[in-house]
Amino acid sequence: MKKETVALHVAFVAATMLLPLILTSYGLKLTSEVLIIAMFVMSLGLIIGFAGLVSLGHAAFFGIGAYTVALISEHVDNTWLLLIAAVVTAGIVAFLSGLMFIRSSGAYFLMITLAFGQMLYAIAYKMEGVTGGADGKAVSESFNLGFGAIESRLAFYYVAAAAFLACYYLLRVFLSSPLGKGVRGIKENESRMTALGYNTHLYKLTVYSLSGMMAGFAGALYAYFNQYISPDLLHWMFSGQALIMVIVGGVGTLLGPAIGAGFFVILQNYISSYTERWPIIMGLLFVCLVLYGRGGVIHLASLVWSHLQSKRRTGREKSVLPKEGSGFESLKG
Amino acid sequence: MVTSSLLMHILNGLAYGMLLFMIAAGLSIIFGLMNVVNLAHGAFYLAGVYIAYSLVARHMGFWPSLLVSVAVVAILGVLVEKWLLERVYGRELEQVLLTFGLSFIFADLVEWIWGSSPLTLPVPEALDVSLNVGGMMFPAYRIFVILVGCLLAVLLWYIESKTRIGAIIRAGVDDREMLSALGININVVFTCMFAVGAALAGLSGVLGGPIMGMYVGIDAEILVSSLVIVVVGGLGTWKGAFIGAIVIGVVDTLGRVWFPSFTMAMVFLIMIAVLLMKPNGLFGRGAAA
Repeated sequence: MKKETVALHVAFVAATMLLPLILTSYGLKLTSEVLIIAMFVMSLGLIIGFAGLVSLGHAAFFGIGAYTVALISEHVDNTWLLLIAAVVTAGIVAFLSGLMFIRSSGAYFLMITLAFGQMLYAIAYKMEGVTGGADGKAVSESFNLGFGAIESRLAFYYVAAAAFLACYYLLRVFLSSPLGKGVRGIKENESRMTALGYNTHLYKLTVYSLSGMMAGFAGALYAYFNQYISPDLLHWMFSGQALIMVIVGGVGTLLGPAIGAGFFVILQNYISSYTERWPIIMGLLFVCLVLYGRGGVIHLASLVWSHLQSKRRTGREKSVLPKEGSGFESLKG
Repeated sequence: MVTSSLLMHILNGLAYGMLLFMIAAGLSIIFGLMNVVNLAHGAFYLAGVYIAYSLVARHMGFWPSLLVSVAVVAILGVLVEKWLLERVYGRELEQVLLTFGLSFIFADLVEWIWGSSPLTLPVPEALDVSLNVGGMMFPAYRIFVILVGCLLAVLLWYIESKTRIGAIIRAGVDDREMLSALGININVVFTCMFAVGAALAGLSGVLGGPIMGMYVGIDAEILVSSLVIVVVGGLGTWKGAFIGAIVIGVVDTLGRVWFPSFTMAMVFLIMIAVLLMKPNGLFGRGAAA
């Protein structure tokens, strides 16, 4: 690693850790939420941007993580155990569903993941006895990693920040490992990877499971953060929001989706305090993004982004960036 | 008694299946022909039923309301296709995002205008009777919906396989470029098909109003069921949509009676089973996308 790169990473971590100094109490809460959602969106960005799997049901894994914590915390109060349970459950579901879904690609994969997410939503919605149905469930267990319960917003911010940084660096390591490189090769040219003797199905399944686990982890933290869960966490609207966050932030980058998450969560918070019509505004954003995104703000942002990236990263890594800047080509293969 | 109540549930399932068929047929053809996964298709259903509700509430009568509502939804379809979709043809993910955004806008507009409490469309007077079916009374209206669905299926099958328009559509599903190379104005075909698909969804909405009721969120339910039908039946074929819709409609209805919490799971399992055995769906034309 180059000296400047190290310095940049130190600055990045330090900035995350020092951010509370300038934030109000509300700002802390909002930033914690951003960080948690960012982990979730990063996990979706991983499969879209690096494996070419465009899912419209990724909220399923986030919701599974959240529901696992909410349901098991009635019997077990060890936070570590609950987090592990959430990650493992989400991972198993991702593995099993991936086993069936990954054969299909493109629009079929999108429709199947959408149906899968809505199935879980329907189950959570209708099994009132277990999940609380439409009313959801309160999570009363406090977050305790063994050093006393974490109650203050500041302390929870640090939990979220540490988790976010851990996820980010884990993904970086993953992507530069032979396994991660294999996955990226599949996105670039699947038939060539097959011809080279790679079991592309297995690679995709691995990255899909990893992504599901990370989404489950984010969901588990969210259950603690929000102290309340509802079927909305599984709904396709949430999956779609995550998808748009990935695209706004930049497909094929790691931090891009996280930035997209920050942009959207803050925007939603801001707009929701003025109007209840957030879905219309979000829908309009979708439409405008699609129609004008190529030459407009997003294109500009992605230009700036790729400029920053090329300064920061080595040339080899740059090739992963979407060629046309908007990343929609992931579905064309 | 058990068999006759089972018969009742199956008839209910058929009626629901016919409603799904009308939506899935449009969705499937639009997907097969234009390569657009139209996630706003549920919104056309929603628009159909709510517009009809407002018209009926203004004493317009069920049948005129049905016609007007379907026509309005068809025009809506043309506008969406001409103004928005046409700009992003050939870019699959962008189309999905566009229609996804539209579905939010429509659903939220409906909630804004008509409120979020559930409403029902009254059954048209002429059909507001019960028929004796195997010793049980069954609403005539549902029988009527089943008949309309079957009639529509025959009509669509006839158009698809016996007419010039059908030949153009089949050719378009198989090879779009070749079709336009042969001198067919593909843009007109696309717009017409999208409008027909929207109109069918609107029709399904109006006919479904007295059975399903109307509430915010029904669009997503209907859309997901229709997507499952498209995957099960195979894209670009009305036959697949018809068989798929009957299977899903009956399974869904029986599921609601026997395992209310796991209805969607059963529907989903059917989809997975079909997908594992026949990746292109039961009657799929062409390769999977």
